[in-house]
Amino acid sequence: MVNNRSLIIVGGLAAVAWLASNSLYVVDETERAVKLRFGEVIEENIQPGLHFKVPITQTVRKFDTRVLTLDTDTSRYLTLEQKAVIVDSYVKWQVVNPTRYYEATAGDETMAIRLIQPRVDESLRNEFGRLDLQQIIAERRDDLMIRPTQELDSLMREELGVSILDVRVKRIDLPDDVSTAVFDRMRSEREREAREWRAQGQEESERIRANADRRRQVLLAQATERAETLRGEGDAEAAAIFSEAYGQNPEFFTFWRSLNAYRASFDGERDMLVLDPTSDFFRYLRSPEVQNGE
Amino acid sequence: MAWNEPGGGNQHDPWSGGGRRGGGNGGGGNRGGNQGPPDLDEALKKFQDKLNNMLGGRGGKGGGRGGKGGGGRPRNTFALPGLLLIIALGIWGAMGFYLVDQAERGVVLRFGEYQTVVGPGLHWNPPLIDDVRMVNVTRVRSLTQTQSMLTRDENIVEVEISAQYQVNDPRDFVLNVRNPQLSIENALDSALRHVVGGTDMIEILTSGREILGSSVASRLQTYLDSYGTGIRLQTINIESTSAPAPVIDAFDDVIRAREDRQRTINEGMAYANAIIPAAQGQAQRLVEQGQGYRESVVAEAQGQVNRFNALLAQYRNAPEIMRERLYLDAMADVFARTPKVLVDVREDAPLMYLPLDQRPGGAGGEGSGEADRGEDGELDPRVLERLRSASSSQGGSNTGGIRREGR
Repeated sequence: MVNNRSLIIVGGLAAVAWLASNSLYVVDETERAVKLRFGEVIEENIQPGLHFKVPITQTVRKFDTRVLTLDTDTSRYLTLEQKAVIVDSYVKWQVVNPTRYYEATAGDETMAIRLIQPRVDESLRNEFGRLDLQQIIAERRDDLMIRPTQELDSLMREELGVSILDVRVKRIDLPDDVSTAVFDRMRSEREREAREWRAQGQEESERIRANADRRRQVLLAQATERAETLRGEGDAEAAAIFSEAYGQNPEFFTFWRSLNAYRASFDGERDMLVLDPTSDFFRYLRSPEVQNGE
Repeated sequence: MAWNEPGGGNQHDPWSGGGRRGGGNGGGGNRGGNQGPPDLDEALKKFQDKLNNMLGGRGGKGGGRGGKGGGGRPRNTFALPGLLLIIALGIWGAMGFYLVDQAERGVVLRFGEYQTVVGPGLHWNPPLIDDVRMVNVTRVRSLTQTQSMLTRDENIVEVEISAQYQVNDPRDFVLNVRNPQLSIENALDSALRHVVGGTDMIEILTSGREILGSSVASRLQTYLDSYGTGIRLQTINIESTSAPAPVIDAFDDVIRAREDRQRTINEGMAYANAIIPAAQGQAQRLVEQGQGYRESVVAEAQGQVNRFNALLAQYRNAPEIMRERLYLDAMADVFARTPKVLVDVREDAPLMYLPLDQRPGGAGGEGSGEADRGEDGELDPRVLERLRSASSSQGGSNTGGIRREGR
């Protein structure tokens, strides 16, 4: 009896548990769900929480409705002037209409991505074809993404029940061969710049040197001028002094000055005198007799 | 409390199936989710009572309602599942306690539905019904990227950027976006390239780095907000900006060239700084020399005149004697210091031979050298011989430079 009763209790509990697990379901905050009866949608967009369904006949499909990221492959686009660029972009998307999403993709995210990616690619390709490289890189980068986002958003809401929050370009690069050319150009620009810097240095340095040389020359010339002036003054003063003395006795002064001059003139060891022995100076050299001078 | 970890997901939780069943046992009607644990407890109690009554009614045949109080057998029948239930409830209740660290917030979901965000401290939530996902909101997370990218002037630069960010809205961070980390990576990449694409290379490499950082930050925050990531940027650092590897040498050379320029200028300045003072000194020397000459000439003149004046007084007394004496003194003085050649020109005038090479820089020194000269400047006989022949060919022109004494 005890065993029977316990079995009944346990069996009852098991039945309740089975029923509960098949009739109750939880929709997470990150999800939305649709309820199906034999494949037909009978309740759309079920909000998070604990819900009830009829076991067996009804099934529930849940979809992640968080913001998802689709990182697209890099593609080669052509700009307006037919330049090739390598573009890497990503798309932020979100399931907003679970029923539509279920119908279009059977809830398969991979499938959704397969449907979205070519659209994004095409849309961006069109935009790139409308603008030249300069506009794409710098001036109208935002515009480039606004239109694809808006177009795709309305289209995808309708077709897939998916909202396209953002189409955003990450990388816009030049193809490898073009990059090499760019590097060459950058290098030559730098070389030019380097040469310019060095030449400027030379110029400036030369300027400074020339200026210094000029100043030196002027300084020396001015100093020479001053020195010569001083010498002249000295000579003039000396002359004045001499002439004063000269005035006292011109004859003796000339004689005396001449003697001094001789002394000064024949000062050097290397001077040599060639003398005529008949000169007055040597009169006693010839004979010691008393003679009258002059 | 591994089953409370964020991201664990209720559906992946090994306990969650039981949780649903437990919920079903407790009260199948709790769909609103507003009823708290007390209701659940009450419902469980009622359920237990009902069960007891039902089983008791069956078990106590003939005992009627009073069977509950009588007989050992019925008591045992209720006691076992009752005890089990109480123990299970006890364990279940104990499992509901959890700690939230100071740095964390817990996002509470009840049957998957967002309830609230709980702060630090000890909390209790009914396990298996509530799911608490923890997020660290004070930790500063960081992200670093190095990329090469196009600039406005179609050059290529390499930029290393780092972003530091915090979770400022735990609910958004946990619930809104799948993989917020990837979102911020992508958004940072896009924002950085966008801003760099709008800036000239030279600006990125030099002055514009700060502005670059701030515009990337504002742009990135806008993106993150629009995706609802619950992330707030703290700082954006442009760690480094440089030219790409293939051209780095050329760029470095520019830097070197700039240094070279400065160096060359400095050298010029050094030259100027060296020669100007030297020239000033030299100029001063010239002036001083001039001044010195002036003063010395004047002084000499004055001295000579003084001396002359003194002599003049004597001269006036005896002019003839004075003259003679002075003359002889002077001549003696001169001759004493000078080599002399006495030539009697009157008799044999046509030929005269002179040791001209004795004079410094003398014009007649062809073929002569130091070796030709004697120790004391006396003339070697061979030299005289040579001079003689040289002189005969040149005539008397060599005598032009020779001072001649005579009165």
